[in-house]
Amino acid sequence: MKKIIYTIFAFLLFAACTKENNTTKVEPVVSKTVKDLPADTIIGITPGVPPLGGMPFGAGKYTFYSLERGVIVPSTDSATNKWDIAFRGTAIITNSGNGGPGAGGGFVFVGLFEDLKTIHSDSTFRTENIPTAYAIPFGSNRGWYVYDGLKNLVTPIPGRVLVIRTATGKFAKVEILNYYKGGVTPAATASDNVKMRDQRYYTFRYSYQPNGSKSF
Amino acid sequence: MRFSGLIAGLFFGFTAANGQVGTIPSADTLYGSADEIVVTATRTEKKLGNVAVPVTLISSKQIAQAGSVRLADILQEQTGLFLTSGFGAGVQMQGLNPDYTLILLNGEPLVGRTAGILDLNRITVGNIKQIEIVKGPSSSLYGSEAMAGVINIITTTPIKNELALSARYGSFNTSDVNATFNISKNKFTYQGFVNNYHTNGFSLRPNSQTSFVTPINRFTQQHQLGYQISDKTKLLGSVRFNRERITNEIAVENNGVIVNSQGKESNDDANFSATLLHKFNSSVRTSAKLYATTFMSEQELATTSGAPYTDYFKQHFLRFETQTDIVVSKNLETSIGAGYLVDRANSTRYDKRESTKENSVGYAFFQSEWKPIERLVIIGGARYDHNALFAAAFSPKLALKYSITNKINVKASVGRGFKAPDFRQLYLNFTNTAAGGYSVFGAIEAQKIISALKGIGQIASIEQDYYSLAALQPEFSTGYHASFDYAPSAKHNFSVGLFYNNINNLIDSRLVAYRPGGAQIFSYLNVKTAFTKGLEFNGEHKFGKYYLISSGYQFLLSGDASELDKIEEGKVFTRDANGYSKRLHASEYVGLPNRSKHQFNLKLQYQKEQVFATVRALYRSSWYVTDTDGNGLYNTNDSKALGFVQFNATIGLPLTKNITMQAGCNNIFNYRDPINMPNFMGRTGFISINFSLKQSIEKSTP
Repeated sequence: MKKIIYTIFAFLLFAACTKENNTTKVEPVVSKTVKDLPADTIIGITPGVPPLGGMPFGAGKYTFYSLERGVIVPSTDSATNKWDIAFRGTAIITNSGNGGPGAGGGFVFVGLFEDLKTIHSDSTFRTENIPTAYAIPFGSNRGWYVYDGLKNLVTPIPGRVLVIRTATGKFAKVEILNYYKGGVTPAATASDNVKMRDQRYYTFRYSYQPNGSKSF
Repeated sequence: MRFSGLIAGLFFGFTAANGQVGTIPSADTLYGSADEIVVTATRTEKKLGNVAVPVTLISSKQIAQAGSVRLADILQEQTGLFLTSGFGAGVQMQGLNPDYTLILLNGEPLVGRTAGILDLNRITVGNIKQIEIVKGPSSSLYGSEAMAGVINIITTTPIKNELALSARYGSFNTSDVNATFNISKNKFTYQGFVNNYHTNGFSLRPNSQTSFVTPINRFTQQHQLGYQISDKTKLLGSVRFNRERITNEIAVENNGVIVNSQGKESNDDANFSATLLHKFNSSVRTSAKLYATTFMSEQELATTSGAPYTDYFKQHFLRFETQTDIVVSKNLETSIGAGYLVDRANSTRYDKRESTKENSVGYAFFQSEWKPIERLVIIGGARYDHNALFAAAFSPKLALKYSITNKINVKASVGRGFKAPDFRQLYLNFTNTAAGGYSVFGAIEAQKIISALKGIGQIASIEQDYYSLAALQPEFSTGYHASFDYAPSAKHNFSVGLFYNNINNLIDSRLVAYRPGGAQIFSYLNVKTAFTKGLEFNGEHKFGKYYLISSGYQFLLSGDASELDKIEEGKVFTRDANGYSKRLHASEYVGLPNRSKHQFNLKLQYQKEQVFATVRALYRSSWYVTDTDGNGLYNTNDSKALGFVQFNATIGLPLTKNITMQAGCNNIFNYRDPINMPNFMGRTGFISINFSLKQSIEKSTP
């Protein structure tokens, strides 16, 4: 009798273990760092004087990125589910709402990248309604960055994680690390030329969960 | 007083260092006196040793021996004071910004602040008798701005006939010339004083065309008249004009294009005061004062391309005040007073130059000094300010001093101070013309402009803070102070003080709206709280016949309680070496920016008759300057300026009976930090000649 109980117990234990192994074994969630992703880099300055003129501008195009495949997606594929997030200047959009045909969305989590182990079940993913409401709120001190007008520098706010629902409804977390070329913010005393030339190059790390669960 | 008085007299053309009081002579000691008279602490003449609140007195001798020319020079050598740069030299006291220190000239406020800072280089020390510094809230006596403290500059008054001249020349073609002319005859006294200062300026960046301190010419004249109407009544009048001219050629880089420009700046201020003093009897006396001052500043910047930039600012300040001092009994003295002031400003910094901004304040105050027993002095006072634009402010104060023995004193005080929002915080209308293009509007102006812009579709979005603008209030602070003074002998004295200031309703700029295209609009709100606390030590030790060593130290902590709360809750982050976010520890929090934790000064002095030499070392520890990690507060991950020591030395000796000579070198080891201290000069030297014709005139007019 004891033997049977032991056997059943061992079997159950084995079953439990294999079940657990199945979920984690498929593909471990690893974090990946992307360096110097250009995001509509500066090509000129608007005529006139500030506040309405004198602003640096790029070509006005988003850079599309697939978190699933870890590659930049050509802009010809902008109307597809091939990309998950896109960058243009300080604006970051998801493949959702009026931003794209996908089932994406996103929100900003306040906390550490490592601390976000599971996306809370009652979290609300916002979808794009550009330009009035971005999934990742647009503007200084609203979403992922703070802009210092006096020093003319953009700094990612530490402790901000972009929680992304991909075009195909999977989940990822993204932490923006830097906004300047080489992943180094120019010195506050650097010239406006340098600050303009080197900006709009993203360095970020992310984790993508391919199995559709909200855990990382 | 013989030797020190002589030195001071020769240098500044004035003999008796306590001339303004005239009746109470200082003790005749080599190193100064315990009987020095101060007026700022209680608004009445008091012996320095009898005052219950902390007062620092800088004598004309000290100013002379430091080789100081402008007010900023001498203040930067004082314990607990830091000079700030940007919009002129301001002074940080007990860790509070220059906005919160009231600057008085003979008890009357100086006006004309830019971004809250009154440029201390505007004031010559050539005719200063003494400078009195009262730390902690003194608003109960002086009203708005006296939150961190009060600096009262007391000029010499003529009691003897005298002509004195002094000239000085130094590095960067810097010259300073003073002339003083005193007449005292029968019931009439007159002092004329002129000062001319010039510098070519200097640049710390070799390839830059920009001089950080630009060619400046300053001319000051002051005329003081006194007339003794009767035994009991005296009339005093004073006029002062100060004129400053600055020229500058700058190369401004805008969007990669170098634009050469020619700048001109003029700052003029005029002060006029008339005082009637009357003694009813030995125990009641009263004063009535009329004071008017104007400050006018104009800047023009003509560029090789584009329209010239002009800045114009004019402030008028008019005040009438009366004060009555009553000796009720041997143990009780009371002062009561009231006044009314009108403050007006016009500026291109506001909506338009023509529209005058005006505020008026009516106020009343009282103060009593009570000696219940011989060893104890208790001072209580309060002031009520009725402000036309804002809620009224009530500022009470309580101070006491207890003499444990003749050599040991204990002092404690508590007071409440305030600072009313200034015209800039209400009416500023500024838009940056470099890349970025942000705007800053005063609280009243912002509401007007943003609603107008919104009407024509020029506002993209409005932040939550915008809705708090309508409720702007004065800033309030409560200050506590306790100190322990010990003077074991005439050769040694020490004092240790603790201070704590708690500030509420701090006004700071906040983002209130965005224009289309993302340009930001800022305005002023009561958003912050802050505290500063610390310890101050001062000591003096005399050794041998001719030597004195003195030192001072300030330990300062500052911060914002709400920021600390957020850190405790784990809601503040910074970055690690990999650039990844990490939670900020309370131990990494450094409090308010631009504050050094440690400040230390050491002075060694030799003086034998008219020959003297001093060496001064001034140390300040590092201070944080930029929030580089973007978390909105200052922590050890942010960028800081490094601590440094500065050495200064001065020597003086007599050449003839009437002429003395002085030479000095400041910043001997040539410490520089162009990034964080652009107007901190490298090594400079000077030589000066001081000439006095006191005796010969005295003979001619017996």
